[in-house]
Amino acid sequence: MEYIPIIVLVLSFIGLLSIGMPVAWSIAISSVLTMLVSIPALPAFTTVSQRMGTGLDSFALLAIPFFVLSGQLMNKGGIAHRLIAFAKTLVGSLPGGLALINVIGAMLMGAIAGSAMASASAMGSILGPEMEKEGYSREFGAAVNITSATTGLVIPPSNILIVYSLASGGVSIAALFLAGYIPGILTGLFLMLVASFWAKKKKYKVGKRSSLKQVLKAFIDAVPSLFLLVIVIGGIITGIFTATEASAIAVLYTLVLGFIYKEISFKSLPEILLDSSATTAVVMLLIGASMSMSWVMSYENIPQNISSTLLAISDNKIIILLLINLILLFVGIFMDMTPAVLIFTPIFLPVVTALGMDPIQFGIIMVLNLCIGLCTPPVGSVLFVGVGIAQTTIQKVVKPLLPMFLAMIVALFLVTYFPQLTLWLPSLFDL
Amino acid sequence: MALRKKIDKVLGNILIVIMGVMVINVLWQVFTRFIIGTPSSFTDELARYLMIWLGILGAAYVSGRNMHVAIDVLPLRSSNKTQKKLKLIVYILIIAFAFFAMIIGGLRLVYITYTLDQYSPALQMPLAVVYFAIPLSGALIIYYKISDILNIK
Amino acid sequence: NRLSDTRTIKLAHSLDVNHSVHKAMVKMGEDLAKISGGKMQLEIYPSQQLGTERECIELLQIGSLDMTKVSVGVMENFAPRMKVFGLPFLFRDKEHAFQVLDGPIGQELLDEGTKYWIKGLAYYDAGSRSFYTKDKPINSPSDLKGLKIRVMESVTAVNMVNSLGGSATPISWGELYTSLQQGVVDGAENNPPSFYLSRHYEVCKYYTLDEHTVLPDVLIIGTHLWNDLSEQEKKWMQQAVDSSVVYQRKLWAEAEKEALEEVQKAGVEIIYPDKTLFSNEVEDVYSDIKENEDMYNLVQRIQNTK
Ligand code: NA
Ligand code: NA
Repeated sequence: MEYIPIIVLVLSFIGLLSIGMPVAWSIAISSVLTMLVSIPALPAFTTVSQRMGTGLDSFALLAIPFFVLSGQLMNKGGIAHRLIAFAKTLVGSLPGGLALINVIGAMLMGAIAGSAMASASAMGSILGPEMEKEGYSREFGAAVNITSATTGLVIPPSNILIVYSLASGGVSIAALFLAGYIPGILTGLFLMLVASFWAKKKKYKVGKRSSLKQVLKAFIDAVPSLFLLVIVIGGIITGIFTATEASAIAVLYTLVLGFIYKEISFKSLPEILLDSSATTAVVMLLIGASMSMSWVMSYENIPQNISSTLLAISDNKIIILLLINLILLFVGIFMDMTPAVLIFTPIFLPVVTALGMDPIQFGIIMVLNLCIGLCTPPVGSVLFVGVGIAQTTIQKVVKPLLPMFLAMIVALFLVTYFPQLTLWLPSLFDL
Repeated sequence: MALRKKIDKVLGNILIVIMGVMVINVLWQVFTRFIIGTPSSFTDELARYLMIWLGILGAAYVSGRNMHVAIDVLPLRSSNKTQKKLKLIVYILIIAFAFFAMIIGGLRLVYITYTLDQYSPALQMPLAVVYFAIPLSGALIIYYKISDILNIK
Repeated sequence: NRLSDTRTIKLAHSLDVNHSVHKAMVKMGEDLAKISGGKMQLEIYPSQQLGTERECIELLQIGSLDMTKVSVGVMENFAPRMKVFGLPFLFRDKEHAFQVLDGPIGQELLDEGTKYWIKGLAYYDAGSRSFYTKDKPINSPSDLKGLKIRVMESVTAVNMVNSLGGSATPISWGELYTSLQQGVVDGAENNPPSFYLSRHYEVCKYYTLDEHTVLPDVLIIGTHLWNDLSEQEKKWMQQAVDSSVVYQRKLWAEAEKEALEEVQKAGVEIIYPDKTLFSNEVEDVYSDIKENEDMYNLVQRIQNTK
């Protein structure tokens, strides 16, 4: 009986995808079919509607349309070009230079804001077109952007670590934040390594080393554009606005600068607005639909059933940690991060603390693990943002994503089996 | 086709206005809190509800332009005739979902929130207005998909 | 579930599993199974798994969820007269609050939701709310001047903080920790266990126990289910609910004490201000109410409750 919902969910979803149903509709339809297992038709239909609507009811999601919009304005307004020209003088001579810029940018963005979707929309809209111009494949660019955006969820500040703190019954947020730095940066470094190898293998163009004079010239050119970073970062750090609000400020600033550079006119504005709306809508429908899927998984207790079945296998510490990671990886495929953290923290935390693991370390393991899930279909908000902005398809991105996943999994296992990576920094501060 | 173009145009204009208002609204939020010092109590809620409208109505818009992300593994490998049949099935299933979940389910949600007098906490706006985007979008999607079916070549 | 004799009731709430409300619900489930001889089972979904408080109420109305727990602050959208609890310094003290909630007025307000397809079953204790601030201690209302204080998204809460001299700023609970850290707001207000469990004390070092509002939690059941229950089942349900309320209030008192001890240990300065300074400040709020006859009568009845 308890296995019927998961069977309906997985089979209907795969069936729909294989006949060519768009992903968003596949998610929505398989969710409603699963609901029909135990909810009468009329309430089930109404519930899907409600979940799709309220799934978008979040102020934090606003960062997506705004960064998409400001990204478009930056591209059309010449700001992006100047910024990237400057960055290229710095790392352009390394293999995969632009990809490295993307990862570093995502980590910096992550250190300011707590949202991977904001980072993916910002970096994707600015760097994507430039990467293509340089001969990178669109899918490779998207894959780098998608995976590196998740580092911001481990590098503080991070809203998801706050959620974990609540779910765990009060692990120190300050300690969790400190614990996140090394794993986040480590993951970023691994991603850079993989991106560099990939770029070398594909023989992507490598720029010449720039002279100091060229660097300076590009820098001066980029000063007004760099000032955007000063405003955004400065505004957030000094508490003038929140990370989400910063995305609206970015729109204003890029618009004004675009007018000054005379590369944007009032006449071209409606088209830019419509383009960003459509890109946003593709992502939003995916997110709304996947919220229905997350909901029905919770409702049918699917996560709990999976974990109780698997955890009964062994009582060896190494194997249990492996199993927990595998369960989380599997769940992350089908479930959004926040509900997964809320559901699994109370289930797994007692198990791992009984094995002697620190709750701080486990929090980082959990978030790092679920970061991979954010990049996989069918429920993967960061994947949706990255693919939507790059205007490519999920199946094309999968190939370049695989080696990136490998990098993330290696980082995950290091963090799982080497507690020092998470606990050392907090211990310096007696936390 | 003339009607379809007209609907595209109107829908597009609505999205442009929603997006524009969203930006101004959040800038106003920062302005009232930081410059004026009396934070606005409704901007957060307005932004979230505009977002629901943008996402749900936008779903109809991108559906009309067939911009949705699909994984076409099977269809590409099958014959032209099977491809047409699969396309037909996909469109009919989308129509069924739009009808049952978005129109029936959505209208019931609108009806419940309307007859039960549900208002939003800050703006005191009827929640039925917020949720009305769902059946509306459902109806537009059905229109687009029927028109797509008639155009399968 | 109609195939067997057992009825499984789905209950969702937004608090984590360590919270007194969740523990009381677990006990309620055990009691319900025991007294009904296994005919009624409770399935609990904690931690906002099925949605926020407002969304869960909607799910009751839609018919896909049976029971939920919300703060009266959320409930006031569904039972408007519950707005009365948002009034600052409405109750003289905790005993007075319990007298009102457990008496005819409390019952009247619980029943009011039935026309919105939801029925209140009981009040759980959520203590009283007080201000906490980051940099500046609050000893009197004048210290609140110019401070941005986070409030829940509710007109009543906005008015309450503004009437005390603060600058009410609605921000979602989830974004509050970073907003406090980065200085988007200067402080917030909540009960001691929430201040402790949310870890906001890591950022805010002053907690002023002015106890301005008492906002209890309300346990509610959808009328879809309630009207379907037999008289016997209703009795079992109410019995299990009532004993969970007694248990929860005991747990809450312990949690409150523990929270204050723990935040103090973490270096928070707890300020016990002269509460009359604060209650004097809100007289306007009460004189404004005279225009609304129904609300005014309700306030009178509450104040006259011994
Ligand atoms: Na971050
Ligand atoms: Na996923």
